[in-house]
Amino acid sequence: MSRIAGLRPRVGGLRPRAPGFVALGLGALALVTFPYWSRDWESSRYATTVLRDILVFAILALSLDLLMGYVGLPSLGHAAFFGAGAYAAAIASQRLETEALFVTLPAGVLVATLLALGIGLFAVRASGIFFLMLTLAFAQMVFSFAFQATDITGGSNGFAGVRRPELFGISFSAAEELYVLVAVSFLATAFVLWRITRSPYGRTLVAIRENERRMRALGYDTRAIKLSAFALAGALAGLAGALSAYSLRFVSANDAGIGTSITAFVMVLIGGAGTLAGPAVGAAVVILIERVLNSYIPFSQTVLGVVFVVFVLAARQGVVGAARTAWARARG
Amino acid sequence: MIDVRDLHRSFGGVTALDGVTLAVAEGERRAIIGPNGAGKTTLFNILTGELAPTGGTVRLAGEDVTGRRTFELARRGLARMYQRNELFDPLTARENVALALTAKAGPYRFGGIPADEARAADELLERVGLAGAGATPARALSHGQRRQLELAVALATAPRVLLLDEPTAGMSPAETARIAELIASLARSLTLLVVEHDMDVVFRLADRITVLHEGKVIADGTPAQVRGDTLVNEVYLGKVIAE
Repeated sequence: MSRIAGLRPRVGGLRPRAPGFVALGLGALALVTFPYWSRDWESSRYATTVLRDILVFAILALSLDLLMGYVGLPSLGHAAFFGAGAYAAAIASQRLETEALFVTLPAGVLVATLLALGIGLFAVRASGIFFLMLTLAFAQMVFSFAFQATDITGGSNGFAGVRRPELFGISFSAAEELYVLVAVSFLATAFVLWRITRSPYGRTLVAIRENERRMRALGYDTRAIKLSAFALAGALAGLAGALSAYSLRFVSANDAGIGTSITAFVMVLIGGAGTLAGPAVGAAVVILIERVLNSYIPFSQTVLGVVFVVFVLAARQGVVGAARTAWARARG
Repeated sequence: MIDVRDLHRSFGGVTALDGVTLAVAEGERRAIIGPNGAGKTTLFNILTGELAPTGGTVRLAGEDVTGRRTFELARRGLARMYQRNELFDPLTARENVALALTAKAGPYRFGGIPADEARAADELLERVGLAGAGATPARALSHGQRRQLELAVALATAPRVLLLDEPTAGMSPAETARIAELIASLARSLTLLVVEHDMDVVFRLADRITVLHEGKVIADGTPAQVRGDTLVNEVYLGKVIAE
């Protein structure tokens, strides 16, 4: 296949790719402005809310995919950083009595990053199933702490009444503006990860996945590199967590629990690990089944289970991977 | 360049290395031969830091590097061509070499892939006889080509010491001749350690030969000395040549 591609004359330069970029730009603009152009037929803001939650989870799934798909580290504890980000943003807002976005959002990201550095220091020494179990164990510790530290987190009651942020006089308290904040964060995350996967750093991550022993023999400190990716993924999960806290105005210990970790894991697998669009598609599939399908039919969770099984058995490369294969086949 | 003193390593009850001492001068080409299980691969794994010795010391360019981690040794100029291929299979031949070329620049670079990198990688590919294969994924190369790529990757780190672990393993006579030619043409300033079963290659390449048997050095000398050694002929060379 690659031989054939190599024989084809190279169509480099901007020209053939430009329409793609224009389409992508217009798509991004449509996504960010969704609540404004949908006002007429979507006055209840239900679709805006669902789309917002899809995007929040898409950020979480994208951050997990950096570990799962690129470095080859399947984490079952990624919700720890999502929960940490959510709590940190909520608590910072409460304790500092501020709604300033530039205080609460960095607080969420910073606390999640530090937690990821601490956990990653131990977790990246393992790989495969042992990495999975270690991340799960650490996340359960974070969950237990959140569940029991009633004075700090609200414990089993959860943390209610999270204030929505404002930035330089712009309030994000209305559904529309909050949605824009989430959509812009999603696009920024996707852009950062897109840049990373095309950079020397991203290539290094893939090479570690493929042959860590060889990378060490070439002089790469693979443990440090894996830790950096783990911290970066934790930071982005913390961003998703903070946005979740603003959105729902509520943080629960379950945000850091195994249920959330598995949800993110399933999103990556259904959408397609190792791709950028995959986790976003996976987040959409899962949230639509959980939220929308749920109001039409009973047992929507069972449907999700069936979908997951089908993907694991029949399309392990996920929606995006399967679509790419089909596209390549159609073009011959 | 490499100074190994009284190296010991055992796996459970099995002794793989039993007091190995050897010194390789800078620019020297040293072959290490011996029957299977003599401890050759264990020795290589200790030299690259992939295995810790149970006793003894390893010095690299005068510095005690015993117990150093693999990436630290690689940064000090140690490279290895593995016996079994250790490549990045889905990546192209060019990317495989580029990862080695840019190891010194470090992984924390978030810009685009530098344009001059591909040219430098292609030059190395051409040197090992893989001109035009730059865009081919490593997994699509033939066994012989993969061995050539292995060599290109090892050379791309600009090593001072190169360990070659059975460079001709599994190759056809024509491929063997080509890779032997390639190794012989490397810069004389590069220190080479070669583990090899093909005695034609060994006697053609090596300045000196060390013979390992059951974890011990039983002979160490010029090719002529080793060829004339009775013990070596008894435990190893006699059998190899008889085959």
